[in-house]
Amino acid sequence: MALDIDRYSSIDSPISRWDPRFKIFALGILIISIALLKTIPVAITALAIAAVIIGMSALPLHFISHGLSFILVFLVPFFFIMPFSYPGEAAFRVLGLPFAWEGLRYATLIFTKALAIVLVSFSIFGSSRFDVSMIALQKLKCPKIIVQMLLFTYRYTYVFLEEMHRMHTSMHSRGFVAGTNAQTLRIYGNFIGTLLVRSFERTDRVYKAMLSKGYQGELHSMVKFKSSSPDILKGLIVIGLALALLLSDYGGIFTAAEQGWY
Amino acid sequence: MHISEGVLSAPVLITGFVGTAVLAAVTMRKMDLEEIPKISVITSVFFVSSLIHVPIGVTSVHLILNGLVGVILGWRAFPAVLVGLVLQAILFGHGGVTVIGVNCLMMGGGALMAYVVWQQRHHFSLKRKEMIFGALAGATGVGFSGIVLALALATTGEAFHAVAGAVLIAHIPIIIIEAGVVGACAEFLSRVKPEILAGQRPTPNPAGSADVAT
Repeated sequence: MALDIDRYSSIDSPISRWDPRFKIFALGILIISIALLKTIPVAITALAIAAVIIGMSALPLHFISHGLSFILVFLVPFFFIMPFSYPGEAAFRVLGLPFAWEGLRYATLIFTKALAIVLVSFSIFGSSRFDVSMIALQKLKCPKIIVQMLLFTYRYTYVFLEEMHRMHTSMHSRGFVAGTNAQTLRIYGNFIGTLLVRSFERTDRVYKAMLSKGYQGELHSMVKFKSSSPDILKGLIVIGLALALLLSDYGGIFTAAEQGWY
Repeated sequence: MHISEGVLSAPVLITGFVGTAVLAAVTMRKMDLEEIPKISVITSVFFVSSLIHVPIGVTSVHLILNGLVGVILGWRAFPAVLVGLVLQAILFGHGGVTVIGVNCLMMGGGALMAYVVWQQRHHFSLKRKEMIFGALAGATGVGFSGIVLALALATTGEAFHAVAGAVLIAHIPIIIIEAGVVGACAEFLSRVKPEILAGQRPTPNPAGSADVAT
C-alpha cells in the first residue's frame, strides 16, 4: 500500500529543509488561527497562503489530490445540507425546501477553511520522514508515551492492512458476500477477532525481539536537529501571517460584514 | 463519525482539548512499558478495520468499533483512540487537527462507557454473556458518540439543529451493526484468546493463560 504520508519526503524544498521542530510549531499555529477565522475573504486569503506553502514544498500534485479526495467526501455534503437547514428567512424554495443564502455562506466558509488546514498539514507531514516528525514532536514536549504509540501504530497499520487484504481475499474466494443480515455481522466479528489475535501474536514476538535488543521505553535516533537563522526566519514569517489573518478577521476590515458575503 | 474541520466554534473546540487532556492524563496513569506495543496494536487494528464496510440496502456504513477498543483495552482505550485520531488526521486529513479534542471526547468517551458496560458481565451468570455484553458494549460505544456528536453540533449554533437531529437518526442502524459485530468478536476472543479482553477475572478460565496480566 503506497499510502505513507512521508513517501515524498526526500524531495528537496524550502519546506523539507526547514528544521521540523520550527516547522511543526509555526505551521501548527497557522492551522489553529485558520480554524478560528470567521469571514470568507480572510479564509480565502488563508487558502491562498496554504496553497503557496504546499507549492513551496514541491510535493507531487497527484499526492496532494489523492489526499484531498478523502476530505472532499466529508465536505461536499455540507453544500447540500447547510442551505436547506439554516434557520431564518429563505430566499427561495427548491422543490419545496427553503433555501437560505446564509447557509450557503456558512458551507463555503467551512469548506475553504478545511481545505486550507489540510493543505498546511500535508506540507508539515509530507515533507519530513515520519519518524523525524515524531522525534520533533517529542522535542516540542509532546508526551513521550503518545509519541511512541504514534510511531508503533503508524508502523503496524500498514502491516495489518496487508494482513487484512489477504484475509479478505481468502474470505471472498470461499464465496463470502456481504449482505444486510446477522450472518454478515457475525462473520465480520470473527474476522476482526482473527485479525486481532494474529496481529497480537505477531507484535508480541516483535516486542520480545525489541526487549532483547535493549528497548527500555525510549526510542533513540541518529537524527540530530540543527536550527539556523533561516529556520527561525521562516517560523517568524509564518507566525506573522497567522497573526495577520486573525487580526484582519477579528479586529478589522470585515467585521461589519461578518454576516455578509463580500 | 467525525466532526470536520471548521464546523465547530472556538469554545467547543477548546472544551474538547481540555477535556481530552484531562481524560488522557487520568487514563494513562501508571502505564507500563510493555503496554505501549499492546495499545498500539489495538489502535492500528481499530484503524484498519474501520475500512470494512457493511452494506445497508443500497448504501453502506463503515465500522467504528470504539466499543470494541473499550472491551479490549479498558481505561487505556482513551489514549488509544487519541492516537488513532491523531494519525487519521495526519495521514488522511480525516476529521482534522483542531477537532481532535472534540472527536476524542466523542469516540474515546464512548469507548470508556463501553468498558463500564462490559464490566457488568461479572454480575450475571448467563450462558453467552460475552456475546450479550459485547453487543451491549458495542452499542454503547457508538450510541454515546452519536449523542455527543449531536450535542456538539447543537451547541455550536442554531444552524446545526437540523443536522444534529439527522445525525441521531442516522446512528440507529450503526448501533445495530456495531452491536452485532462487537458481540460476535467478544465471544470469539473469549473462546480463542481470552487474555486479550479487558477486565478478565482469572477464576472463570482455569485452563491456560495463567501468566498474562490484564
